[in-house]
This record gives sequence, structure tokens and C-alpha cells, in this order.
Amino acid sequence: MSYPSLAEKLAALKVSEPTEYERSCLESVNAGDYEIGVQRTADILDEGYEVFMRSSRSQMGVAGDSIVAIFNAQGDLVNASAGTYLHAVIPPIVIKYILKNFRENPGIADGDIWYTNDALYGGIHNPDQVAIMPVFFEGELVAWTAALSHTTETGACEPGGMPVSAKSRFDEGMNLPPMKIGHDHVLRHDVIEMFAAFGLRSEVSVTVDLRARCTTADRVRVRLLEMFAREGKDFVTGLFRRMLIEAEQGARKRLASWPDGVYRCATFSDSAGTEHGLMRNCFMTMTKRDDTLHLDFTGTSPENGSSYNAHPQAVIGHLANYIYEYVFHDLPISSATFQPIDFEFPPNSMLSPAPNAATSCAVMAATGAMSSIANCVGRARFGTTEWRQVTASLGNGGNASVLAGVSQWGMPFADMLAYTINTEGQGARSHSDGINAYGFPWCAFGRAPDVENMENELPMLVPFSQHWPDSGGAGKHRGGVGTAQLWVAHHAPYVIFMSIADNSIVQTPQPLFGGYTMPTCPGLSMEGVDIPELLRAGEEGTLDLASLLAGKYGGQIVSETYARTARPVMGDQVITLGISTGGAGYGDPLDRDPQAVEKDVTDGLISDWSATDVYAVRFNERTGRVDPQATAAARRDVLAERKARGKTWDEFHEGWSRRKPPEEVLGLYGSWPDGAVVNPLMRM
Amino acid sequence: MPSTIHVAEYLDLDVDAERWRCHSCGHDVGDARENYKRGLLIHERDPGEVHPPLIDGEFTFAPNPEWIRILEFYCPGCGRQVETEYLPPGHPITHDTEIDLDSLKRKLASGELHIDEHGKLEVTA
Repeated sequence: MSYPSLAEKLAALKVSEPTEYERSCLESVNAGDYEIGVQRTADILDEGYEVFMRSSRSQMGVAGDSIVAIFNAQGDLVNASAGTYLHAVIPPIVIKYILKNFRENPGIADGDIWYTNDALYGGIHNPDQVAIMPVFFEGELVAWTAALSHTTETGACEPGGMPVSAKSRFDEGMNLPPMKIGHDHVLRHDVIEMFAAFGLRSEVSVTVDLRARCTTADRVRVRLLEMFAREGKDFVTGLFRRMLIEAEQGARKRLASWPDGVYRCATFSDSAGTEHGLMRNCFMTMTKRDDTLHLDFTGTSPENGSSYNAHPQAVIGHLANYIYEYVFHDLPISSATFQPIDFEFPPNSMLSPAPNAATSCAVMAATGAMSSIANCVGRARFGTTEWRQVTASLGNGGNASVLAGVSQWGMPFADMLAYTINTEGQGARSHSDGINAYGFPWCAFGRAPDVENMENELPMLVPFSQHWPDSGGAGKHRGGVGTAQLWVAHHAPYVIFMSIADNSIVQTPQPLFGGYTMPTCPGLSMEGVDIPELLRAGEEGTLDLASLLAGKYGGQIVSETYARTARPVMGDQVITLGISTGGAGYGDPLDRDPQAVEKDVTDGLISDWSATDVYAVRFNERTGRVDPQATAAARRDVLAERKARGKTWDEFHEGWSRRKPPEEVLGLYGSWPDGAVVNPLMRM
Repeated sequence: MPSTIHVAEYLDLDVDAERWRCHSCGHDVGDARENYKRGLLIHERDPGEVHPPLIDGEFTFAPNPEWIRILEFYCPGCGRQVETEYLPPGHPITHDTEIDLDSLKRKLASGELHIDEHGKLEVTA
């Protein structure tokens, strides 16, 4: 095998040196023509993105959890349209691997369709799959195109592509290294059959999404050829190289304004697949020097025997989610923007596991990195004129659930319920609250599916969807709230349900500048609930989260961790309560405008308890409105109480430094408190 | 020319004096070459005091207090909650902001960076 080493992967992320020809082509790209050319690539990619969503079948594909990208001939990412920035930086690893290893055998030819989903070779996790096509103009390789999206089934030991019970990569179903799956512009039928076989639980969505990736990559290829024919090879080649140069310059200029220094963040999680235990799922040390960043993950807990591990490039992909949303939001999605950023991953950590590790839940392993980058960059950036871009961490819960079985249309299916993950709360911003139910931290442009669409596609009913009160972290600026949605099996004798997330015992994101983070998310099912009464209340609009948790509809609430292995749920029974995390809070809650607190109560975004006990707001009992004098007095009292109860650094450490979590929860942590590998992991 | 940077919501950095100061009340929080948290008051809380349980059982919407605690950092001058950190009991407090003062001074002196009227750093055009 010749899968790329970590050093080779990191090297592939760097922009290739321009050839003499490219340098000469730069002269043909004048100001004005350059801007038009950049916009043309964006238009081509946006068309591709639209084609992608309309051609996909799975809930995630329809929701737009995807990306479409253009690369130069050497495989450097020039621009992309998203979707999800998760895949923005790392496809060059795959293309450069193909160029290095397969140029002679099987060869790279016009009309090729290449494909991979193996994280060992440069992907995120095996449900994330990419179709790649070379672009040949007048017989010469001039560019590459790619279309990436999440699929809903890989033939793993559990349905849905993200098995929480997988112990090694051999439990995760289909893992394809980069390979040619079509030639002469034709997708091979035997390959489609292989996908159908691996995707037996959900053949239609798997094979349709496969075709959607190929269709999209080809559409972008065709549009690029039109551009080459119209503008000339010299111009387009020069345009691509200049886009890389300008993107790198833009990134370096942005970083240069931040104060040099070292910024750190430690985050924690509570589970690895089905095993509960405390982990330091990220210890980030971000060193900012001149116009560069160095991100060191030393101190992150060891790899584990579950699927909650992420290969390093997958971690980098997760960082891109935040960096393109908040830092390089006005720059092209390009390899060059990451040129000033270097990485260091400790071997055998959960962010750099052995080749045989299960990584299909890499998105869970990487939540700490996603949260830490927001925290570290926020601290580096607040002291600059860019302070308005600073935010507390997004929810980053990723509370994904999978349904599988036979639908009401007689079709085998396995699909991820996109509503919960696409309605997380945004982290509070330095100047305003986070957006409620803003979206999917992994895919800022993803869309929560309509309930009618869910009920039409899947054998279930959705009695209510609503904001989840108090789910946003409290603060001067409140984290956006997440949502709650109830699912009831219907129109089928049974469905198979499983769920993927941690955050039921501790929450991963740290808040920022004195705010609080969000509450934990239990996995809730309900036995013996009066379903007809519940549905009637849903129709009347009186069904809500509080009444459900209070037992108004009878039965018993069963509380587990959010991650649950595959299990059957009989028809007309509650499947689960889907809940999405809110965003982390920003600033001292005592600084929150009391009128904003009152409005939050009125809007059902926070509870009365939070208003009085967290925000110290007092209300006029007669009018129900804020009492400004009583609130000011209450807040003065809290400030005085803090000064009275707070301990100095030395006083505090007398007791604190002698404590430790219970030994029985530290089995996954590594050495305490450094998180170093204690015992090498053995996988079968 | 201003020499103080508004470096965090409740924290100023006096570059010339090399001191952290509370942005709300001006309290001297300590040596800017040290962790600013050393100059703040610290209080530990059960996370359930901020995120109360909503249901019975082991998993309740409240973080498990044996696994994680909330540390609150207050300004000794005004009581403002400058920072919070969710840490396992006994876990070292994070030194989250370690600004390279020598580099900063050098770049300000050379004019590469300047501090605007709002106390924010900017690359000099």
C-alpha cells in the first residue's frame, strides 16, 4: 500500500510552485479581466452546486451539505462553492496522490471519473465521498474538478454510514482509495453495482448520489472547457495562478494585524462511540507569528477503540469550517489561504490515529478542534479592528440521527435526519446574539428540510418543531438557541433508529469572555406515550418541549446518552426527541440588556428561571415588565457577592490542584492531566 | 498615540506599562507577561447551578458535576465576570492568552502596527 504519510498529506496542502509557463501567463491577466475571471469561476461553481443539490437523493444531499471545486493542473484548489467548507482544503491531497501514483498505470485521461471516500487517503470519513474529473483542453491536462458530499449508507456494521459501534476501519463498510470508476465520460455499470451492493440498505440514495457527484463534476468540467475556449489557455492558466497568489496575500495580510503570541484552548468530551469516559478532545496551542499561524494539538487525548477518531487532514477540514465562515470569509476558497498555516499532530492521538483506526465518526472527534479554533482566534483577533468578527463557539453538537428500514413507498432506505443538525444555534457574537437555529456548523449553507418533505420521504410523523429554551449559552450576548423536534414512527411496522453524538455528560465548546456554554443533550425516548393525544396537541399547536418533559402525555421518559446503537422502534411509537445544541455565550450575563432578557422570556428563548437566576433581572409582579431599579440593585448585589466569594489564585489552587475526576471515567483520557498515550491501543 | 489595546471584552493591555487592566473599572490585573487569570478572583461552581436538570435520571440536560466544573474569574475591582472556563476538577487553568510583548512593542515602534482611537490594532497602510 502507498497511502500518503502525514508529512505527505501536509505537504500536499501547500500550493505547488508555479511553472515557467504559469509565470508567463500571469502577464496576460490584467486588472478588470482578473475580477471578471474570478467571478466567472464563482458562477460556474454556483451552477454546479445547484445542479448537485437538485440531482441528489439523500436528505444531506438535498440539504446542500456538499461542495463543488476547481483545481489547477497540479491539483491546487483554486475556488469552490459551498455548501460545507469541511471539504474546502483537503481534496488536493487526493488529486496530488493520483498525479503521483497513477499517471502511468492506469493513466490519467480525458473523460476519466476518479473517486474516493477513504480518509486514509485524504478524506474526512468514509460517508464523505468525492468524484474528481481531470479537465483536458486541446489534449493537455489543464485543471481538475470535484464534487463532494455526504452519503447516507456505506454498508457498515450499523446503518447510516457513521456506526457508533465500529471498533476499527474494518467495521465501517466501503472504503475506496482513489480509483478510476469511469472513462470516456461514462460511469462504469459494474462500479454502480458495487455501490448498490455496499448501499443495499439504501440503494436508491447511494446510487443516485453517486451519479449526482459525477454529473456535477462533469458540469463544471464542461463549463471550464467553454471558458478555456473563449478566454484562451494562457488567460485561464494565468487567472488560476493569480487567484492563488492573491488568496495567499489576502490571508497573510489578515493574520499580520493580530498580535503575535500564543493562544490556547482545552475542550472536553464524554464518549467514544458506546464507551463513556472523559477525554480532552482537543488541546490547541495556536502560535501566531507575523503573518503565519502554527496549530499544535499536543495534549489531545489518545486514539480510542471506537469510530470517534479523526485523521489529521480531517481535523484541518473541520478547522476550515470556522476559518472560511469567520476569518477568510471574503477570500476565495483556496489552497492558498491555508498556505500560512502549519500543523502539528501528536501521533496516536484521537486526532492522528493509526491507519487501522475507525474514523467514520470523525466529525464527532473533531468537535473540540472546531470549538477551540473559534476560541483561540477570537482571543487573537479581538484586539484588532476585526473585533466584530469575533464569536463564541458554534454549537458543534452534531446531534445526528439515522433512520433505516423500508419506507411507506416500499423502498429500502437509510438516511440521516437533517433537521436537527441543520438547526444548531450560532455562537454569540461580540456585538450581538448568535442566530437562533442558524444552521449546521459543518455546513453553514445547509438547509433544514421541511417537515412535509421529511414526512413524505420517511415513514414518520413530526408532531412539533420548536426553539429549545435555554439551549443558547447565557451571556452579555446570548448564544443562538437550538431546536427540539419530535419523531414518531408511522406508516411502517417498524424503523431502525440510531444516533450519533456525545455531549450528554459534558459539553465541548468553551464560552468566551465571561459567558456560559450550552447545556448537555440527553438522548430521550418515550415509552407508553398517548400518541393520539400527542398528535392532537401537535395539530392544535399546544404541544411543546416543556409539556412533553413534564409528562403531560403520559408514559415514561427514558434518558440515555445521545449516541445510541441501532435498534428497532415499532410503528406509532416515539422514535426519539431530536435536539440540537445552542451556541456558546459571550460576556458577563449581568451585562445583558434587561429589555433583551424580557424579550427572550416573551419569545420562549429562555426560562423565567434563567432571567432571574442567571441574568439577575427583576420583573414588576403587576405588569410582568422589567423593573429597572430592582434589576440594577440585584445586579449590584451579585457583583458584591462575587467579590466576597472569589478566591485569589493561590487560595484557589490550595484545594483545586489536589483534585481529580473519578478514576473510572479517565480510561479514555490518557495520562492525567496531560492526555499523553499511556497504553498503546490494539485493534483486531 | 494611545498605548492601551482593548484586547478582550473586559481586559485592556497597557503596552508601555506591561500591565493587564480591567476594561470596565481600570483595576490593575497584573503583569502582562503573566497569565491575566492570576490577577482575578476565582470561584468554582457546580454546572447544575447554571444549567439546571430538567428531568430525572443520569442524563438530565445538566453537565455531570463529577466530570466538569465551571470556573468563574472575577475582576477584584468591580466583580465583572471576565472569563469562565469549564474544566474537570483539578485540571490546570488554561493560559489562554500569551501576547508577545516584545514583538508588539517592536511593531508599534516601527510603525508596522498602530493602535487606533478605539484601542484596536491595525496594520499601518
